Amino acid sequence: MSAETATENELLLQFLYACPVGLVEIEADGAIGMINPLAMQLMVPLMRPPQGMNFFDIMEPYAPELRNLVEEFTALHGEVCSNLRIFISPGTKQSGYLAHVLSCTLVRLAADRFMATLSDVSKVVAQERRLGEAEVWFSSLLDGVSDFAVLSLDAQGLIDGVSASALRQTGFSNEDLLGKTLDVFDSPTPATSAVTVTEQISLACRDGWYLIEGWQKRKDLPADWCQRLIAVRSEEGEEDRTVTGYTVILREVVRQKHDALELKQMLTRDHLTGASNRAHFFEIAGRECSRFVRYGHSLSVVALDIDHFKSVNDTYGHAAGDKVLREVSRRCMVLLRPADTFARVGGEEFMVLLPGTDLRGARLLAERLRSALENMTVSYGNEMITVTGSFGCAEAVPDTSSPAPLMESADRALYNAKQMGRNMVVLAVAGEVPGE
Amino acid sequence: MLATSVEVLEFSKISLGELMSLSNEAIDALPFGVVGLSREGVTEVYSHTESKLAGIPPESVLGTHFFLSTAQCMNNFMVAQRLDDEAELDTVVDYVLTFRMRPTPIRLRLLKKAEYPRSYLLIQR
Repeated sequence: MSAETATENELLLQFLYACPVGLVEIEADGAIGMINPLAMQLMVPLMRPPQGMNFFDIMEPYAPELRNLVEEFTALHGEVCSNLRIFISPGTKQSGYLAHVLSCTLVRLAADRFMATLSDVSKVVAQERRLGEAEVWFSSLLDGVSDFAVLSLDAQGLIDGVSASALRQTGFSNEDLLGKTLDVFDSPTPATSAVTVTEQISLACRDGWYLIEGWQKRKDLPADWCQRLIAVRSEEGEEDRTVTGYTVILREVVRQKHDALELKQMLTRDHLTGASNRAHFFEIAGRECSRFVRYGHSLSVVALDIDHFKSVNDTYGHAAGDKVLREVSRRCMVLLRPADTFARVGGEEFMVLLPGTDLRGARLLAERLRSALENMTVSYGNEMITVTGSFGCAEAVPDTSSPAPLMESADRALYNAKQMGRNMVVLAVAGEVPGE
Repeated sequence: MLATSVEVLEFSKISLGELMSLSNEAIDALPFGVVGLSREGVTEVYSHTESKLAGIPPESVLGTHFFLSTAQCMNNFMVAQRLDDEAELDTVVDYVLTFRMRPTPIRLRLLKKAEYPRSYLLIQR
């Protein structure tokens, strides 16, 4: 090699070394070819032996959908995913309550050649969260609005104020509405999966607001497809904030191809199973912990891991494994209340957040889930696949200001369940403090 | 008293004190890479073995911040932050470097002691 080429090579290498974005070249099965220092900086802390240098294996506990997205990507070139947020861990006291989040873009260059970029976007995400909370409020109001109805609810959730536009839009009179609850707008036989008005208000209290789309009853008129935004009004008191009432905004919308609900689901749901995704779980868990610290209602977490899942994949293939994950999620979710959150937090690991539930209640629920899985059969082709699950339950102890210790407790109890033979529910030991 | 037997100069046994007192020639002769950093993270020692294995001339490394300029792949809580945060350190970590953009598994020994002004990284491929 000539001296010029050697120098040129050195310059090219230095150019790559200086790149402030992680770059990884991978094959369709995830095998890593080339990788730059920044990508390694971000990935080594995620590695767990005996994983080899396989991108999907390394990312499996945090973004199990990456493998699926690549498998489903049939075009020979193009973007598989863009700026996919990967939630590594929730905020802890040490991290200044900053969740650790990576951003990943995957591009297909050829049949068996992909390029991934990785960046640490933890700070960006924290900032967006602060901005986003204000933006949701405004964007839902300003979005091509022609007419919207405003109602006021008192602290008990009874209508105590109605705008002229509300009377016009709904066809009701003042007498029909004042003193009533929002149920007056709901059909008498709602779908079994519908969130009740009481639950809507409860969720609004948790998050500051609640947005739902659906059919709204009108007086002497056919039902209307409406967006309903419930926003909490509160006052700063001596000790904490008290809810003084609610503002409800009703907006008739043309039912779009993608409802607001659908959009919300795309951002908060796991691609494969429909369970909440890891990011959404951390977000909800963080908020429930704040409420726990403030109000002292109990809060529990159940960690669930499918037993011997790897052998399901090995024996029947990944497609069968995916079907099992979907079935497990479906069976578990029907057993939960709307306020509970069921999330896929890893490849075959799920977590359930149970507000207002103590350890005893968590154990009862976990036992129900365990039984449901034990009695479940998943048909795949000519096969009938059965699985079991191991469960760990933990209850939040006073001063649990971040979800991390609660999740760690549940995880440790789950680990014990595995050690003690699987297909069982184990409770976290009270007073056990997570190790370093 | 400096012992010069082969066992003492072994990757997992050599002490910080010994590293501080070895001559440059002796450091260069060791079969594993040796990097010595000031408390601020500036590279003060970059052994011949390390330079050859990493493919980087010592002139471009000495006097620069190791984790920001030379070893970005180790600039995280597993290595750089640990050397910073902990008052004393003597541990071996499995790590992966990116020599010429290829994953290169190594064993890394981190050495730090309050009474010595320099920390060391030993790199065994």
